[in-house]
Amino acid sequence: MKTYSDIAGDGGSDVLGQVLQQRERIAEAMAGIDHVVAIGSGKGGVGKSTLTMQLALALGRAGRRCAILDADLNGPCQARLAGLERAPLLPGDRGMALPRTPDGLGVVSLGSLLPESEHLAFDSVATGDSHVWRATREFNLFQQLLGLVDWGRLDFLLVDLPPGAERTLQYAEALGPAARFVLVTIPAALARGVVARSAAALGTTPNEVLGYIENMSGYYCGTCDGVRPLFDGAAGDAPELGLPCLARVPFDPRLATASDAGEADLPPGPVLHALDEAAEQLLRCVA
Amino acid sequence: MKFLCVPCDEQMKLKHALGPDGGSVALVYACPACSAEMAMMTNPHETQVVGSLGVKIGPGEAPETAAAASKCPFTGMLADMGVPLAAQGADRDASPADGESGANGGNGAPAGIPWTAEARERLANIPDIVRTSAVAGIEKFALDHGYDEVDAAVLERARSFFGIA
Ligand SMILES: Nc1ncnc2c1ncn2[C@@H]1O[C@H](COP(=O)(O)OP(=O)(O)O)[C@@H](O)[C@H]1O
Ligand SMILES: [Mg+2]
Ligand SMILES: [Zn+2]
Repeated sequence: MKTYSDIAGDGGSDVLGQVLQQRERIAEAMAGIDHVVAIGSGKGGVGKSTLTMQLALALGRAGRRCAILDADLNGPCQARLAGLERAPLLPGDRGMALPRTPDGLGVVSLGSLLPESEHLAFDSVATGDSHVWRATREFNLFQQLLGLVDWGRLDFLLVDLPPGAERTLQYAEALGPAARFVLVTIPAALARGVVARSAAALGTTPNEVLGYIENMSGYYCGTCDGVRPLFDGAAGDAPELGLPCLARVPFDPRLATASDAGEADLPPGPVLHALDEAAEQLLRCVA
Repeated sequence: MKFLCVPCDEQMKLKHALGPDGGSVALVYACPACSAEMAMMTNPHETQVVGSLGVKIGPGEAPETAAAASKCPFTGMLADMGVPLAAQGADRDASPADGESGANGGNGAPAGIPWTAEARERLANIPDIVRTSAVAGIEKFALDHGYDEVDAAVLERARSFFGIA
């Protein structure tokens, strides 16, 4: 009896061919991008989205052309951070036009299309069983975004990841081995323990993890113009990450306020300094 | 997935399809040697999982138009076979919003103005899930600026209006 590999084709649909075609489309769309860097953590609420935007701005200050892809399809934040909650998606002749902030930063986020009062819903013939197919559908949408956007020439595409150590691994596999990772943690064992799991998961992939950024590393007090401890100590007994620290970014309430309002610019201070430091380290890592 | 006729040791070929019916599609395969036929019937989970992969099942390709977007992954095949689907009814020059199924779409979409074939074709560059919202935004721009048709030039004007390079 013939085996699977004895039979050419699949009887009419050429599913494999379609998948390969999609991969080619993505490679073609991303051909002008020098570096893909995904910002992950595994933990939620540690500042991945905030730092993705700030890192893109810092790289912009260093003269690099950047765009952000918001991969947190279910909790997209980049549209608000960029002040692009109403950016129209326009089809060009070579793909979907890349929405840009007035400063020229490209930002693709589902938050530009879905009001915050709505959740991302997909049509389904398997109503009530979204756990069976939902992740597959989300990665299909993510790959559509990668392949359809007219990214043009970019020094950096930063990808803002959703939480979840397993998700971080899945995005590494969806982005391919050339994508590099930066992990965000905060000085608390609860967070670093999860980030260590993400680092372990990424260790099973060929993707390079450039290092981590310690966010909320102290509290910047504007009144006394100094940085005070925010968390009590370091990360207690949580495992070491075994990765280089790219920067330590203090908590600054002005950053939270500006982020909520979609205002990019930060006043000079320890936060801005740390972000420029992080961008410099990143440039050194990929050089 | 491949199907083999064991007595003939021949690959069976996709012949036609029935459905979708209650989320299920029946794919009928025939053996080119002995003409025996068999049907593979999907349950709604299987139909949905295949649809989530973003591949089309069936001989031949589905037309890459906005109107071809449907919740059924087997759309391409069914369309080729003349099985009527809701999304297939859209006229060539009607608004693409009319034949759309995007789950998050449709909210506040205007009545619709005509699109030229070239402008419609460009809509394939927008991910299917957000195509309806994109169409609504473009039609609003066109109506607000006094155009009575969406063509490639209107799309370009929208780009510069919104400062998109
Ligand atoms: N260094 C910081 N200083 C002030 N606020 C911060 C800082 N980092 C993050 N935040 C705030 O913390 C909250 C969570 O940040 P966010 O970037 O959404 O985290 P994540 O993407 O990891 O879930 C937001 O309200 C954000 O403004
Ligand atoms: Mg986030
Ligand atoms: Zn046979």
